[in-house]
Amino acid sequence: MDLPGIVHRAGGALLGTLQHVRIPGVGQASVTDDPATSARRWRAVTVLRDQAAVGTPEAPPPPLDRFGDRIEVRLTAAPADRGTELAARFRGTPSEAEIGELRAALREAKQLLEVGEVLRVDPQPHGQRKPTPQGAALEGMTEQAPKEGVL
Amino acid sequence: MKAATWTGVNEVSVEDVPEPTILNDHDVILKIRQSVTCGSDLHLIGGYIPFMRAGDVIGHEFLGEVVEVGKEVRDRKVGDRVVVAPFAACGSCWYCKQELYSLCDNGNANPGITEGLWGQGVGGCFGYSHAMGGYAGSHAELMRVPYADVGTFVVPEGVSDTRALFASDAASTGWMGADLAGTEPGDVVAVWGAGGVGQMAARAAMLLGAEQVVVIDRVPERLTQVRTHVGAEAVDYTTTDVVAELRERTGGRGPDVCIEAVGMEAHAPGTPGIYDQVKQQLRLQTDRPTAVREAITACRKGGTVFTLGVFAAMVDKFPLGAAMNKGLTLRGAQVHAQRYIPELLRRMEADELVTEHLATHVMPLGEAPEGYRMFKEKDDGCVRAVFLP
Ligand SMILES: NC(=O)c1ccc[n+]([C@@H]2O[C@H](COP(=O)([O-])OP(=O)(O)OC[C@H]3O[C@@H](n4cnc5c(N)ncnc54)[C@H](O)[C@@H]3O)[C@@H](O)[C@H]2O)c1
Ligand SMILES: [Zn+2]
Ligand SMILES: [Zn+2]
Repeated sequence: MDLPGIVHRAGGALLGTLQHVRIPGVGQASVTDDPATSARRWRAVTVLRDQAAVGTPEAPPPPLDRFGDRIEVRLTAAPADRGTELAARFRGTPSEAEIGELRAALREAKQLLEVGEVLRVDPQPHGQRKPTPQGAALEGMTEQAPKEGVL
Repeated sequence: MKAATWTGVNEVSVEDVPEPTILNDHDVILKIRQSVTCGSDLHLIGGYIPFMRAGDVIGHEFLGEVVEVGKEVRDRKVGDRVVVAPFAACGSCWYCKQELYSLCDNGNANPGITEGLWGQGVGGCFGYSHAMGGYAGSHAELMRVPYADVGTFVVPEGVSDTRALFASDAASTGWMGADLAGTEPGDVVAVWGAGGVGQMAARAAMLLGAEQVVVIDRVPERLTQVRTHVGAEAVDYTTTDVVAELRERTGGRGPDVCIEAVGMEAHAPGTPGIYDQVKQQLRLQTDRPTAVREAITACRKGGTVFTLGVFAAMVDKFPLGAAMNKGLTLRGAQVHAQRYIPELLRRMEADELVTEHLATHVMPLGEAPEGYRMFKEKDDGCVRAVFLP
């Protein structure tokens, strides 16, 4: 797997590329699913709160509520002491961008419930950003990172 | 303000950067008193973790004074002298509740990157690339620290800055290795690497009751520190067959616990070393696992091998057959410092844990590029370079 090569390739699309490196089980949400099946999978986070504090399928926690009836929401008690599984998926066939928004929203909902606020890293002190292709690629990547991953 | 930044592969600079501000209600701003180089930085600086941008402020092992507190911070106040865990951890998620702080679910604002690499996202570490959260690091005059009630610890008055500094990373990492590898009284423990982390792992093993602790390296000054400051035995792998030596010292059994504190740039004499280096440089493997291989071969049947050394992705020629057939436990982790810092500070106060000797070179922050050069080349016996902003 030529990681640095992949990194050099460019932009925010790059993280998507990383998700599709074909090593079984590594780097992608679905290894063998076709795109339609993959897009229909429940995306889930486990939140360390009681189900009652998390919400209901009809009244999901923010910011999931803003998707309205474009998504279905499922809440299940997690095994043992692990809290509540909060899952969501689109009713129709979503675009990659919509899936990205849902990933970011699930992560934010979890943080709001567990911590009370969403972690920020911008703006931060940094020195001169030399305009290199790799820097540009990484910038695209960090912008996309909240919306990417295997979730 | 002044800060040390990564400006390209093998290039550290000192730049003027904007001052940090409170971004979250659980943040504090610290005025940095001391900040130190760590072996992990060498992997970053050398380009082995390709998620750095020119201008990123580096550094994650540090101590400072609180100068501003966010409105949800409960237990810290302006003026507190604190040592800080390198990983930002929320304290509220399931991983934090299990004291697996470097795995915190809410500590990394860029979870997509490590999820893609490893199948699950891990926590965020200060000054340690955009994959690990994109936080500005501690080699600066001021620094923002999120989740301050969880990750900062007030240093007892009797403990000096330079001693407490290493509770942040070297000592907590070393302690974690000895602890989570399950070191028991009477055990024989072997440690690969006599840098700050390996030395502290050896010291921890001794304090946890190990009968015999052997540290393996090739740098004479570091082997001397192992003998004089840590009180463990030291073996030079360039003049000694390590596996044979360990077998002989342990009645043929092999060490009960093997702690690897070398990481992905391990050095190996002869052909296997060249093989790994070429493969790494051609990007056919990302990491050089020389010491891990040796640890697996040396370890006694049913023993534990713990990798403290940082690895990024793939290794080659991994002796999985030995690990499986000998019934080994393999374990590793980024540091769960929040779990260990309180106890380390107590032991530092009681003079059981001494760390000052690691600070071989203390210099102004403006000399960070030279400090990193000396640290990387182990010039003048450099074990860690400490920067004073
Ligand atoms: N798990 C964590 O949270 C954590 C925290 C800090 C550091 N680390 C990692 O631990 C490792 C050690 O850190 P450090 O700060 O002590 O680094 P360091 O660079 O100061 O020390 C590494 C030592 O390993 C020795 N070495 C190289 N090849 C060897 C081999 N084949 N056998 C035995 N020794 C060998 C070197 O001579 C050097 O003394 C690094 O990989 C670092 O990234 C991990
Ligand atoms: Zn470190
Ligand atoms: Zn957490």
